[in-house]
Amino acid sequence: MRKTLVGFMIFAISMVPFYAFAGAPLDAVKTNVNSVLDVLRDPKLKGESGKKVKEQRIEAAADKLFDYVELSKRTLGLNWNKFTTEQRKEFVGLFRTILMDAYIDKITAYTNEKVNFTKEMPLSETTVEVQSTVVSKSAETPVYYRVIKKGNDWKVYDVVIEGVSLVSNYRTQFREILGNNPPQALIDSLHKKVGKK
Amino acid sequence: MRRRNIKPHSKRTTIFLRSASGLSLLLLLLLLCCPSLHAESDIPVSEANIDTGVNVPAAEKQAGEDETATTPTTIAQKPSDDEYGDVIEKETGPVPTTAGKKSSDEYGDVTTEETGAAEAPQIADPIKPWNVAMYHFNDKLYFWMWKPAATGYKYAVPEEVRGIIGNFYENLKAPIRIFNNLLQGEPGYAGIELANLFINSTLGVGGFKNCAKECFGINGRYADFGQTLGKYGVGFGFYLVLPFLGPSSVRDGIGSLVDWSLRPTTYLSPDFFSVESLGLYTHERINTTSFHLGEYEMLKDAAVDPYVAMRDVYIQYRKNLIEKK
Repeated sequence: MRKTLVGFMIFAISMVPFYAFAGAPLDAVKTNVNSVLDVLRDPKLKGESGKKVKEQRIEAAADKLFDYVELSKRTLGLNWNKFTTEQRKEFVGLFRTILMDAYIDKITAYTNEKVNFTKEMPLSETTVEVQSTVVSKSAETPVYYRVIKKGNDWKVYDVVIEGVSLVSNYRTQFREILGNNPPQALIDSLHKKVGKK
Repeated sequence: MRRRNIKPHSKRTTIFLRSASGLSLLLLLLLLCCPSLHAESDIPVSEANIDTGVNVPAAEKQAGEDETATTPTTIAQKPSDDEYGDVIEKETGPVPTTAGKKSSDEYGDVTTEETGAAEAPQIADPIKPWNVAMYHFNDKLYFWMWKPAATGYKYAVPEEVRGIIGNFYENLKAPIRIFNNLLQGEPGYAGIELANLFINSTLGVGGFKNCAKECFGINGRYADFGQTLGKYGVGFGFYLVLPFLGPSSVRDGIGSLVDWSLRPTTYLSPDFFSVESLGLYTHERINTTSFHLGEYEMLKDAAVDPYVAMRDVYIQYRKNLIEKK
């Protein structure tokens, strides 16, 4: 019984410091996501010519929202240490391009989704999960943004959709490649993928 | 989902019904917080475990290799023999590595701590050649059959009608949700699903309208038998890609068979698999696909290794379904 009490107290105490930043991460993600949505819904950006501008603006907004270095580190895990600094930089750039290529085309097609930000859950001292729901006509999809404090900003390093983490997903893929290949092999296959576009 | 007038009355009943299951969760939490009730290796009390929900002891053992072993700072899943010290050290003490280092050199080395101690869930894939072959088969099937069929169907049938058809099929599957919610120790939700079945079959005109949700704001809870087995502690077994059906596992494949036996459409004919039931299933699938065109393509395009990516999405999705409330 006493052990239970101690357990509860530790749990309670551990929760205290997290309230220090209540609200800030959610607001940061909300602002940046909304700015992407604003671009998407901008009636002036219609048609082919508008599409290019739209893409550029979304890219700019996405760059503000995501921390690609953090995202890359977490995706590679300890394998990151096997990369030289040059390779690390190259990897981050390539990974960013892949994510942009994969999602930007598709995201520009969405217009009538509504995003509700519901709450934030502290994950560690510097990381928070901002939870949102994307409401469309046919479904409600939980989308969670994991953010990390960088200076005064909160940057997204992982997106979890319906329980599926983007970082974990790529980590599994890259681990399989890096399992029996050197880092350069992964960089080469990323190059190949980017080149195909 | 469109217009939802939530009536306070029905909401109250929903809350009341849920509080029962809420209580059981609280009890569960209590149990988890009380190490003396568990075998020592039973629960690795790590923050990572709580935050991500993707960290199972099994996965740790499997994927732990270098990542857990090398760094002494990885307190997370380490000393299961001293659960107490573990929690205190982890939860109250500041993490030594994170703060100072990163700001000084963005591209510097990382520790396990920094990359997120939680390991991605893993699954055994002993019949990979079969799975890869079936992956390609299903991929072709999507682009040659499901996609064109659903595209034409989407063009021919207005969205409202497709929504109504979707509701109808969902309502027919109520027995699966009632049965499995009961087995999963969620009698409250089983009751709600039963109520939904009645409301939708009557006020919702035979299930064409999801009146329980649209008129009363009642939300049910998805449940299937593979999930039930998972909640009982049954693991995936191994990864299994089924022709026509897609990613599955030994456990979830068995689950699908049990759920199939709970579909009213199965009993349209004396055969377990009949032209009638399979035909309706195909229609249901096309109807569903018409709402999700482009999603599979996006997933595939984003992947560096689509087979591994798809497998991982399946595993993560199912695991989340089992672990979340």
